Amino acid sequence: MLLALLAILIASAGFISFGSNNEVDYSADVKPILNKKCISCHGGVQAKSGFSLLFREDALAKTESGKPAIVPGDPSASEMIRRITHDDPEERMPYQHEPLSKEEIRILKNWIKQGAKWGDHWAYLPVQKQIVPEAADLEIDAFIRAKLEEQDLKPSAPADKPTILRRVSLDLIGIYPEDHISKKFLQSDGSQQAYQALVDSLLASPRFGERWASVWLDLARYADTKGYESDGHRDIWPYRDWVIRAFNNDMPYDQFLTEQMAGDLLPSPTKDQYIATAFHRNSMTNDEGGTDNEEFRIAAVMDRVNTTWEATMGTTFSCVQCHSHPYDPFRHDEYYKFVAYFNNTRDEDVPGEYPWLRQLETKQEEQLENILAWIREGEKVADAAAVERMLRFYQPAINSTTAECIKNAVIGGNNYALLVRNNAIAKFKSVDLSDAETMTWQFYSNKKGGVLTVRIDSANGPIVVREKVPANEKWQFAEFAVALEAGEMEGWRDGRKTGAGKKLSVHDIFVSYDNPSLPKTFNDGADFAIVFNWIAFTPAFPGKGREGYESNKKLYRDLLTAYVPGTPILLENPANLHRTTNLFERGNRMTPGKEVQPAVPNSLQIKGLENLPPNRLGMAKWMTDKRHPLVSRTIVNRLWEQLFGSGIVETLEDMGTQGIAPTHRELLDHLSWKLMHQYNWSLKSLLREMVMSATYRQQSRFGKDEGDPFNKFYSRGPRTRLSAEQIRDQHLFVSGLIDTTMFGKGVMPWQPDGIWLSPYNGARWEKSSGGDQYRRAIYTYWKRTSPYPSLISFDAAQRVVCNARRIPTNTPLQALVTLNDSAYVDMSRHFARRMQQSGGGTQQQIGTGYQWLTFKPLPAEKAKLMMDLYDKSLRTFRADPQATCEMVGIDDEFNNPGAAALVVVAGAMMNLDEVIMKN
Amino acid sequence: MTHKHDHAQRLLKEAEAAELRNHTRRHFLKESAMGLGSLAIGSLLGAWGCGNAASKTNPLSQVAFDPAHPLLPKSPPFLGKARSVIYLHMAGAPSQLELFDFKPELAKMDGQDCPPSLLAGKQFAFIRGVPKMLGPQAKFAQHGESRAWISEHLPHFSTVADEVSFLKAVTTDQFNHAPAQLLMHTGSPRLGRPSMGSWVTYGLGTENQNLPGFVVLTSGGSFPDAGKSVWGSGFLPSVYQGVQCRSEGDPVLFINDPAGMNRDLRKASIDAINAANLQEYNEYNDPEILSRISQYEMAYRMQISAPEVMNINNEPDYIHEMYGTQPGKSCFANNALLARKLVEKGVRYVQLFDWGWDAHGDNAGNALNLGIINKYRSVDKAMTALLLDLKQRGLLEETLVVWGGEFGRTPMMENRNGAQNPFKGRDHHTEAFTIWMAGGGIKKGYTHGETDEIGYSAVSGKVEAYDIQATILHQLGFNHEEFTYPFQGRPFRLTDVGGKVISQVVS
Repeated sequence: MLLALLAILIASAGFISFGSNNEVDYSADVKPILNKKCISCHGGVQAKSGFSLLFREDALAKTESGKPAIVPGDPSASEMIRRITHDDPEERMPYQHEPLSKEEIRILKNWIKQGAKWGDHWAYLPVQKQIVPEAADLEIDAFIRAKLEEQDLKPSAPADKPTILRRVSLDLIGIYPEDHISKKFLQSDGSQQAYQALVDSLLASPRFGERWASVWLDLARYADTKGYESDGHRDIWPYRDWVIRAFNNDMPYDQFLTEQMAGDLLPSPTKDQYIATAFHRNSMTNDEGGTDNEEFRIAAVMDRVNTTWEATMGTTFSCVQCHSHPYDPFRHDEYYKFVAYFNNTRDEDVPGEYPWLRQLETKQEEQLENILAWIREGEKVADAAAVERMLRFYQPAINSTTAECIKNAVIGGNNYALLVRNNAIAKFKSVDLSDAETMTWQFYSNKKGGVLTVRIDSANGPIVVREKVPANEKWQFAEFAVALEAGEMEGWRDGRKTGAGKKLSVHDIFVSYDNPSLPKTFNDGADFAIVFNWIAFTPAFPGKGREGYESNKKLYRDLLTAYVPGTPILLENPANLHRTTNLFERGNRMTPGKEVQPAVPNSLQIKGLENLPPNRLGMAKWMTDKRHPLVSRTIVNRLWEQLFGSGIVETLEDMGTQGIAPTHRELLDHLSWKLMHQYNWSLKSLLREMVMSATYRQQSRFGKDEGDPFNKFYSRGPRTRLSAEQIRDQHLFVSGLIDTTMFGKGVMPWQPDGIWLSPYNGARWEKSSGGDQYRRAIYTYWKRTSPYPSLISFDAAQRVVCNARRIPTNTPLQALVTLNDSAYVDMSRHFARRMQQSGGGTQQQIGTGYQWLTFKPLPAEKAKLMMDLYDKSLRTFRADPQATCEMVGIDDEFNNPGAAALVVVAGAMMNLDEVIMKN
Repeated sequence: MTHKHDHAQRLLKEAEAAELRNHTRRHFLKESAMGLGSLAIGSLLGAWGCGNAASKTNPLSQVAFDPAHPLLPKSPPFLGKARSVIYLHMAGAPSQLELFDFKPELAKMDGQDCPPSLLAGKQFAFIRGVPKMLGPQAKFAQHGESRAWISEHLPHFSTVADEVSFLKAVTTDQFNHAPAQLLMHTGSPRLGRPSMGSWVTYGLGTENQNLPGFVVLTSGGSFPDAGKSVWGSGFLPSVYQGVQCRSEGDPVLFINDPAGMNRDLRKASIDAINAANLQEYNEYNDPEILSRISQYEMAYRMQISAPEVMNINNEPDYIHEMYGTQPGKSCFANNALLARKLVEKGVRYVQLFDWGWDAHGDNAGNALNLGIINKYRSVDKAMTALLLDLKQRGLLEETLVVWGGEFGRTPMMENRNGAQNPFKGRDHHTEAFTIWMAGGGIKKGYTHGETDEIGYSAVSGKVEAYDIQATILHQLGFNHEEFTYPFQGRPFRLTDVGGKVISQVVS
């Protein structure tokens, strides 16, 4: 053991054992010293005495003393060396800390002597094609074997058929395959071909997308609620379904990212491409009274930036929010240049979470298509587009919360909606009226006799809308004609008003409300006449006079007013609502600095991409360029971690200089290269290569010696705990309860009372009935502040912010879940019943159950343990009919001591280590 | 013999016992016929290290805890005065100006416009434009030999003024609830760091293996704004996360056996599971399996201990009267009594959150002169009883009790959106608030720190969350700068890069 320990020590200290003539490697040798000893005072956060070591140009520049601290080629003239070797503790650096070791000083001296060259961190260099070592048949194995040989380690024998069947099934589809697939493999010769067939059928299974979506949804911070204090409901599940379909269809990863980042900016986006952009509408929305919508809009935008970097580029970019990155080559302003990509989406942290893609039903979709077809026959394409935009998105709506209240009006609760009283005036800035013929607005008013007037440019300016406000007790939509000097009072009108015939452009508008039947003075806080939701100015419904106008107009209005839920999506602001983006000093939005334009960080610029559009689509093109160093490596590392238990770079969230160095950098690059250049970003192809490797198929028994204690060199197969979702799904499967219905709204399986206790939220957990309570875990309704307890116990992510890695744990509370949670008790009852119905004597039934769980025959010793438990339970239940009935759970033909005893055994079997773990 | 002496003896014994177990276990592992490899020994070597002991030269110390017995009591690096902690957090942030920080000058300014000097360059959660000043909404008097100023809202607590140290000049840099709560309890306003209770149970383990080492009790109808992250274990193993115990429903989720299963059967089924898992271990040699075995054993014991300790019905009437409990309900008084029971049973860290202190005055329920008065009443008697009850059991000296919120409240009256709020309220304030500490080696009847004459900012004895955390760790026997955990390539500590023990309040 001592020898092995020494070997590891030497290996980990290996980098310092080069001679002084060797070229110093900045990334491997110098950067770790700077990061550890220098950079907290002389880096991106602070540059004490004007000296920063983050970028070469800064490090060689003059410091506050007037001379540079590093003189390339001349260590003795370099203040830095003088200071780290100084005798006076007041002068010696690091100040008030342990001095650098002799070895470290030697490295830094040599480095400066050799010219103080800055090297790029490996992860920021483009992925290169690798030479595959000749150590094994399959490429992955070749890389792994080469390292094993270096370490004088040996690979383990292949796992047996049942073990690899269970492992690869849980890994690829998160659950067991249909019986005929398992049987086929178990009865096969276990050859490469038979295994390949198994893998291919798993990759083709619709369960595949459900398993991998749960990984992606942690990154996407997907949840069914908005988050923050009151944590209300959100209809964003179509995005979850989009992710499942994308994985099932093996959507190329570059397209997968592009559609999520910028689906709305693609040419003629499909509905699915809009839904994909909900990736970034999974950021939180704050409905809490008293919060500033703009503050939380900005928080959401920053979350989108941070998530984009962490999820797709394995970079802790959020550090750069307040200052230059402490360790990695990103400057403070580069954060805000990246913010600028995301800063012009239409969403504004309003409680309605607009803009939406309305979830029209099939019939409504047909009606919409019919209307559009009718318009396209006789009118301009743009007319059809405007109608579609209104019906699908309620755009170009102006949220009433952006109004400025001039008189007798208030934004309710500071962020909820515009409320107006009699004789109110509210102002909306820069409204585009250039094609405005109709004002469509959604509002609530139960006061009869009111008149709404819209003026432009000032509170006494020319009138463009003047109409009676319809009153009833419901939220409603109205369409008012827009025309300059729309003077006279009319009721409902369609089409254009001739008016003065002048063309309008972008104007401030002043909306006033007057109602002679209401009092002119009010009690504080009461007497609101209208609650506004939004207002939109559009061309009139086209085609007046043509045959079919009336019927299509009516259909349009029906669709407009139909209540359908909407999924929040990204849409870009029109030009008149363009926001400028400023750097925030120290990350504080109250202290904006210089204005910035969209751009990617300098250190990651790619040649030839300078002319990409400066928007999210251009950004997505940059991310998915094959020369981007981080995107392919990050996804390869993530998939590897899912299969092998830890990433090649263990810190999935950080590939930067502070991340843990890769164990097999060449392999990571090889697979990244292949993913892009050979597999054309097909994740299924990459997964197939990984699971086909002998490395993956090894048995997972720990060796008797500790040569590879943490399996860093993959000298054995992965042995990891099932994820929260896999435990639930597996138990549902073996109990026969699983309902494999796919897609749709979140379901609510059994959970104890009193779990939901968010402040200011009356929502209730209403247990689903029928098959819905037995759906796969991915469909469980996810409330951010109170996630489903049994999933959280097993380390599911909370989904508040992007979560790159779940840390598996082992606690007594997990045992209590699988032993006592009513949902699991229910499963064990059904498992027992299935066993009983499978025939044979009790021992055989138990053996069958074990086989369902593990695909293996029950070993004799364990069989004896289970039979003893059965016998003891049987004796207990024979003496206690009440307990028998409670354990069986229902008074039917199974209400007998034998069935109850089998429930106890079923529960025990579902808690076995080999059931909770992947062997 | 004095309590102090008892306490020191007890700690020494505890340390000896822990070392003995350590030794025995190492011995057992080496000699065991089970053939456990040296792997687990490696993880054990790491397990006893806190801070520097988690040696950088031993690669095996990456497993910095004994997976089979992660909560065994461990001895701190030096002899701390406190053995356990009860932290009473008033979520929403109570007003220092109505409870402890008496400001007669502020009364004189009541109703006047706030001077511009107090507003320039400042950001508030709700105050916009120029708010009015708001005088103290309480009468104050001095109490005890220490002559501590305490308001009329805390008549019970006034009687124990001589037991506590007040920190009058606490500051923070977070003015929204969730981040400020996270900073106070995890040392970072962002999600993802371990909470103080997790650090403490990681470092000290816990004395009662049949109960969680870190228990969380909530009252006030909601969880704290930061949600469950505020008792999360962050990057520490999740066995160290706070376990929420409830006074309604199952005291701990899923603690009760299913209907029809008696204790004998549960015991038999866990024995069968563990025996089968031991066979699995013999085949796979994965130390994780041993850990699973011990977790199942602990789950079984916890099923008995947790409902027992969570049942307050067996307490005598005078105790109920003392705390003002409401058996069967979820309330602060019940939780305060439970906190005493839990530390008495050896739980290391008990965290109470009482929600509903956010005194904005935008409705009657959170108005300083209306709803919030009920909050004062709901905690005054119980927190006083907690101190007295701990004292009469000889537990106060070794139990550190901390009371406070996540920030303070403005001397200005809140003017949401620049308009007067309908009720009297104060906005969130980062520059001054009061926290008190008692027991566990904290000075009695002492006040540290002072604010200016209107209670706006600290003028002396300014402290921040990191200092309070450093002090709590110090009382438990840790140097906060050396108590670290390696993560993402660097050692992390609760106090991040800050923190100074507030030696003035240490007795």
